[in-house]
Amino acid sequence: MTGVCPRCGHETIEMLFTSPVPGVWDVLQCQQCLYCWRTSEPARRTDRDAYPASFRMTVAEIDSAPEVPSIPPLRARP
Amino acid sequence: MPYDDLRSFLDTLDEQGQLLRITDEVLPEPDVAAAANAVARMGDKAPALYFNNVKGFIDARIAMNVHGSWANHALALGLPRETGTKEQIDEFIRRWAEFPVAPQWREDPPWAQNSMAGADVDIFKVLPLVRLNDGDGGLYIDKAAVVSKDPDDPENSGKQNVGIYRIEVKGKARLALQPVPMHDIAQHLHKAEERGEDLPVAITLGNDPVISIVAATPMRYDENEYELAGALRGAPAPIAEAPLTGLPVPWGSEVVIEGVIKGRKREIEGPFGEFTGHYSGGRRMTVIRVDRISYRTNPIFEHLYLGMPWTEIDYLMAANTCVPLYQQLRADFPEVRAVNAMYTHGLVVIVSTATRYGGFAKAVGLRVLTTPHGLGYAATVIVVDEDVDPFNLPQVMWALSTRMNPEHDLVVVPNMPVLELAPQADTPGIVHKLIIDATAPAKPDHRGNYGNQVHDLPEAAGWLTRLRELAARH
Repeated sequence: MTGVCPRCGHETIEMLFTSPVPGVWDVLQCQQCLYCWRTSEPARRTDRDAYPASFRMTVAEIDSAPEVPSIPPLRARP
Repeated sequence: MPYDDLRSFLDTLDEQGQLLRITDEVLPEPDVAAAANAVARMGDKAPALYFNNVKGFIDARIAMNVHGSWANHALALGLPRETGTKEQIDEFIRRWAEFPVAPQWREDPPWAQNSMAGADVDIFKVLPLVRLNDGDGGLYIDKAAVVSKDPDDPENSGKQNVGIYRIEVKGKARLALQPVPMHDIAQHLHKAEERGEDLPVAITLGNDPVISIVAATPMRYDENEYELAGALRGAPAPIAEAPLTGLPVPWGSEVVIEGVIKGRKREIEGPFGEFTGHYSGGRRMTVIRVDRISYRTNPIFEHLYLGMPWTEIDYLMAANTCVPLYQQLRADFPEVRAVNAMYTHGLVVIVSTATRYGGFAKAVGLRVLTTPHGLGYAATVIVVDEDVDPFNLPQVMWALSTRMNPEHDLVVVPNMPVLELAPQADTPGIVHKLIIDATAPAKPDHRGNYGNQVHDLPEAAGWLTRLRELAARH
């Protein structure tokens, strides 16, 4: 589905779950930064324009995010 | 009588007036987290919260703040709810002396009542997940006891691990888990990844209250958490075999999620508002594939709010951080009297000790840095004399005010390890550490100008009793 990720602005959004009571809310996930939210949350968490600048994420930040924990080298096979 | 599951403990909290039931309809966000945030501000007798009417869900049950006060922590250990902090820690020390108490395998775990596997796995159908803080990257599970084994020594039950780690839900069968390098599961994963293998895990939710306490205890690598649970409970911890992985899991869990941490794979995760009171930034972290979920009928989702301290997590990892540090220091320095590592999981540690000679306190402080937990925490260590109670912060401040000379008593050890979540480090994971010697100089150290100390009058203790009796009559 299409939409706008509040955090990174990406437009490919997937629905992970919908409310057991029909039509109340959906749980959505951005396919770029993996931000996940419920449509019933306040605008500061769900709306791109209201989403705080300090929590926003860019493609560069995703690509340069540190690896935790770092992956060790494979053991040498005998 | 020890608790074998979460439900029996919730009943006790209810009977003791330590469980608030929120029966009005609430929004999943921000209500559940905001209420759990607020209840932490009610102080050290705050109740647990139970929600059963969450908008959009048909049958959600969410328990929050189960360990979130000294009153609840006391009840978890089977102590009277008004037991004081220091008394709870002293009792914890006494019970640890019984370690190890072997667990007991028990048949017919309640979580075997229902299951889903393979393509049918959908964690959202089992758990009413809710988001916590505004900047969190998604929905988290942050109070599950995660079980894993050492891939190089899988039959060694000492090296198996039961620990609480932050877990982000990223799909119906896809999770992320944060293994801090200082924690045992990181050693398991490191070995699995060196071998080019996945690491099987069992994620157990909604446990009896002692399981959560031991899973949050910084035990040595080869110490078995279930054997500590037995010592703390005064009876063997009941466990059962998880059906898919064969891992030993608590018998009484509400939900058991089995799968693997995929070897040599990382993916963007977070941020998440952490126990430091700060968000950890987005990082590329491990990925879990869920293969099976077993769950009790009508499962209760036990969840934990954390944010600006103190919140539930600070109570959950207070006594159990102090005690192993105390035991480990005492092994080398029997002069140590008490250890307070209750603040931010021991990023600050206060040690009370007798001093045999000048410089002794600095040596005790340095030893804190080389304990297993001190490696990743203990950014600041304050050492006080034996006449100062490290749990009495006015007394600690008095020692800092009068027994510490900044010219001589600050020892900075450069470039030491610290967990990467510690926000004060310039390079995450590396920080200078500080020992503050707030003990009076002992011979042959003659620094300072101390003269005689003022002590309480010998008659004051009798007067204290008399005044309390008088006050009680009013």
